[in-house]
Amino acid sequence: MPEFESVIGLETHIQLNTQTKIFCGCKADSWEDLPNTNICPVCTGLPGVLPTLNNAVVTKAVLLALAVQVDSVQPKSYFARKNYFYPDLPKGYQISQYDEPLALGGFIDLPLPDGSVRRVTIEKLHLEEDAGKTVRQVGERWIDFNRCGVPLLEMVTGPDLRTADEAAQYLIRLRQLLRWLGISDADMERGQLRCDANVSIRPVGSDDLNTKTEIKNVNSIENVRSAIEAEIKRQIREVQSGGRIEAWTLDWDEDKSTLHKMRSKESEADYRYFREPDLLPVLIDQDWLEQMRDALPELPLERKERFIETYALPEYDSEILTEERTLSEYFERTVQAFIGDPKVVSNWMMNDLLRLIRERGTTAGKLIIQPEHLAELIAMVEAKTITASTGKELLDKVEHSGLTPEAIVKAEGLGQVSDEGKLRSLAVEIIETNPDQVATYTGGKTTILGWFVGQMMKETRGKANAQLVQKIFRELLEKS
Amino acid sequence: MNEALCDLSALEIARRVKSGENSAVQVLESTLDRIRNVEGNSPSTASYTFDPADLEKIHAYITVTKDRARVQAEQVDRAIEEGQDPGPLAGVPLAVKDIFCVRDTPSTAGSRILENFISPYSATPVERLEAAGAVTVGKVNLDEFTFGSSNESSAFLPPVGNPWNAAHVPGGSSGGSAAAVAAGEAVISIGTDTAGSIRQPAAFCGVVGMKPTYGRVSRYGLIAFASSLDCPGPIARNTTDVALALQVMAGSDPHDATAAEVPVPDYVSLLEGGVEGLRIGLSPDYFKLKFPDPETGEIREQSIDPDAQRAVQHAAEIFARAGAEIVEDVPMPNTHYGIPVYFVISRVEAASNLHRYDGVKYGYRYDGEVEDLRQLYRITRARGFGPQVKLRILMGMYVSAEQYEKGYYDKALRVRTLIRRDFLEAFDPQGRYKLDCLLTATTPTSAFEIGSVYGDSVLMQYADLLTVSANHAGNPGLSVPAGLDEKGLPIGIQFLGPDFSEGTLLRIGRTYEMRTEHEPWRAVKPKVLQGLG
Amino acid sequence: MTEKITKEIFDHLVDLAALELDDDEAKYLRNELNNQLQAIYELEAITLDDEIDVTSHGVPYTESTRPELREDVIDPCKEADEILAQAAEVQDRYIVVPDIPSEELG
Ligand SMILES: [Zn+2]
Repeated sequence: MPEFESVIGLETHIQLNTQTKIFCGCKADSWEDLPNTNICPVCTGLPGVLPTLNNAVVTKAVLLALAVQVDSVQPKSYFARKNYFYPDLPKGYQISQYDEPLALGGFIDLPLPDGSVRRVTIEKLHLEEDAGKTVRQVGERWIDFNRCGVPLLEMVTGPDLRTADEAAQYLIRLRQLLRWLGISDADMERGQLRCDANVSIRPVGSDDLNTKTEIKNVNSIENVRSAIEAEIKRQIREVQSGGRIEAWTLDWDEDKSTLHKMRSKESEADYRYFREPDLLPVLIDQDWLEQMRDALPELPLERKERFIETYALPEYDSEILTEERTLSEYFERTVQAFIGDPKVVSNWMMNDLLRLIRERGTTAGKLIIQPEHLAELIAMVEAKTITASTGKELLDKVEHSGLTPEAIVKAEGLGQVSDEGKLRSLAVEIIETNPDQVATYTGGKTTILGWFVGQMMKETRGKANAQLVQKIFRELLEKS
Repeated sequence: MNEALCDLSALEIARRVKSGENSAVQVLESTLDRIRNVEGNSPSTASYTFDPADLEKIHAYITVTKDRARVQAEQVDRAIEEGQDPGPLAGVPLAVKDIFCVRDTPSTAGSRILENFISPYSATPVERLEAAGAVTVGKVNLDEFTFGSSNESSAFLPPVGNPWNAAHVPGGSSGGSAAAVAAGEAVISIGTDTAGSIRQPAAFCGVVGMKPTYGRVSRYGLIAFASSLDCPGPIARNTTDVALALQVMAGSDPHDATAAEVPVPDYVSLLEGGVEGLRIGLSPDYFKLKFPDPETGEIREQSIDPDAQRAVQHAAEIFARAGAEIVEDVPMPNTHYGIPVYFVISRVEAASNLHRYDGVKYGYRYDGEVEDLRQLYRITRARGFGPQVKLRILMGMYVSAEQYEKGYYDKALRVRTLIRRDFLEAFDPQGRYKLDCLLTATTPTSAFEIGSVYGDSVLMQYADLLTVSANHAGNPGLSVPAGLDEKGLPIGIQFLGPDFSEGTLLRIGRTYEMRTEHEPWRAVKPKVLQGLG
Repeated sequence: MTEKITKEIFDHLVDLAALELDDDEAKYLRNELNNQLQAIYELEAITLDDEIDVTSHGVPYTESTRPELREDVIDPCKEADEILAQAAEVQDRYIVVPDIPSEELG
């Protein structure tokens, strides 16, 4: 029996996070809104209406095109009509780019666990409008047009992925990139990132592209992985038992973790694509494109490498700190404000700031505590003005109050007590009031020193410099 | 006879209403009176049995929006009382072709499938006319979804009669518009022209109609037939009123991505400029028609009606006397491709535009038992659409489906380039002809009898042979009345001009109007008005 | 006269168009379609230079006549309920349609 490898290509539909829909002024985001509330004559396909293209859709799509280094953002691209009857498609056609899409070519580099990089080619990026939602009811369907006309960017990869894990990795990287660029919230559970997977298998070593199946409607990265895995297994079983793979469209049943074959809809020829006469071609001005290219932010993988080089961070740290754009920016601003080892900042961020971010369900960019505050706080710990545990508590206090760390330390008297004279007089007091414990110590059981330090911490509410306190007690008790 | 208020020009009505000489309500009452006198049986979708009396009346209005109109007229009058300017069309009665959505009115497209559709929004050009003080009297009949040249394909019957002889068609598809204006049931109307649908009925009914340049007037709210050809435009009884209405309707629109950003000139003030020094062309390709024999498919040639030829020649002489230079033998060799190209482009676009009528969101839905959604679609559309609509949909399917003749579509769009080139060369200021306009007959014949052509979809289409090229090329065209033929039916001549030359065309039309003011046919009234009041 | 649109093709077109026709209507429409095709055949004979591109709108749009794209600013529509009121059947603000036969073959 030959060994098989799988060949996977992904078609992703990315919901762009514009304010309005692609062809009308309705609010694009209808999450938790009542059905059929964000609708207007245009997106419900009333007789006589016309589409008007949202310029933010073009800008956001071009950003992604540049980020995946497309061969060309086409100077002129066109919208077409894809004609078919479905109740969630109010005009009876979907306005979509077709033969002349917005951008062609490009790639996303995928770092693999073994340290190598898989280059996933992008075939094309095209703009289209989303359809509405149909809800299954007993014997009928219920239609909500809120989602009609939400802008989608379809991005199609080459057959470059080899495992279900790689497909999942690709989606994770794509999601990271989309959020990084600020063009999509890319939440798969909310349908902001949707994925269809084309899967085929071939004997290892072969370059053939065999008949593929298409898995549709998978709504989480985990499910994409499971569905592709299941389909690869099914195809191998089929071929090994002498069967043939047919070009089926499959549906992933999340609850039962099984694949279903879907009834084929219209054939491509039946869609009767033709240029949308209600819209002019999308023109991309070359000067504008160059401005966009110049304004493109540093991308995650580039930034990760730079952090390793510039700040001598371990790769692990750098990966985590560049997972999300505002986190990486937070790190750099903190490093700039903090005069000291960037690794110290990294430790604070990876342990404590990320905990805070997770607890509050937010992102670094939206925290109240500013990088300058964090730098100030770390500097106080480093200078032993406060203890490390006070520092951790302080993080929450700053976030809660919005006051600067220094102001809180001052107001609450959180500063570490390192005044030897003050500590010494307190220590004398403690020794004088606890003759029994002193006797224990002098009797040779010196481990009771810890008890004395504890008493001091009680007196100073934990702010005493522990090493100094030990030293003072040892001196005084040795003398007794 | 004392001229009724509804027979005055828009310019005169607006003047009187603004000066307080007459109220907008009085003008409306006069118009409603006229409607009562000439309409006859109201068109409806109920099964139609022919009544000979129907051949005496107009039946232009699908809906008379009496109450809505009264509110508008009162608003105009109140504005004037309060010293405000209600706009250049103050109190002017407007008939809207029922292919435009008008807020709170049934907007039917002459089809059963939209019979119960009440539009929640107004078309941009209608909104602009109303904002300028026009009072919408109602929605007028048309060929179903504008698919026809005679008005007979409407689901709302009896069919519109021609005011000059109600046994003849008013033309189409804006037949209700042209007939209503000719009969004084409105002073202006807004129609649409996809292959000649404003100019042809204007010619048949003896009124003035303009198809503006594509992109001159917003299509927002116009229920689409062929999106790359459809042009909304005005119909009125004289060029001045057409200029006045176009002035208000024209201009870019945030709701229409194909409405061009071209400044709107003051058409009315340009009107009296005369034709001195203008170059007006005549083309042999507009005197002889080429079309395939329906039996053999061979291309045949036939001259347009002698009356129409004479009208064009007569106009040329008038313009020559008025100081224009007449340029003869301007070749427009691709004119005869207009119809075949139209058969392809318009059908592809129409089939797609009609996809949305499925009984789900609005309009007619079959309410009997169905097995599933697909069956609901099929029965709804089968019962909702008339035969001419179905024919266009099926043809559209054929010439756009990959497995059949999609190649035709691409070819048609490229032949369209040839048609456009004819116009570019004729109007090229550096070219051989340097025309300001091309003068042609609007239609090969005058209005034909109801029932004589209907059903033969090919012959019917060839009624648009002289008008359709301007739709392919996007150029503006103006049709003006130019006499009566031996049957006493109106003849129209048209002026075709370069892109956005509406001002020049109106000026040429106005010159013709003034120079023929005293010709005897000008005194003849449409038959339906003879013996009234 | 050749019958380019055969019964089979015609039936497919009717299916694409989501129509159903009685026999008389089908006969009339198929006949008219074939007649119209006669008229269209005229196009086949035209030879076109490669440089002749398509014309999608008659009047070309220039930099100055092309409308700007729409700004991404929400323009809430107040007529949502009126739009919904046009539908034949509505339940809990959803538009209701008959079922779509199951798509899964197992
Ligand atoms: Zn909308």
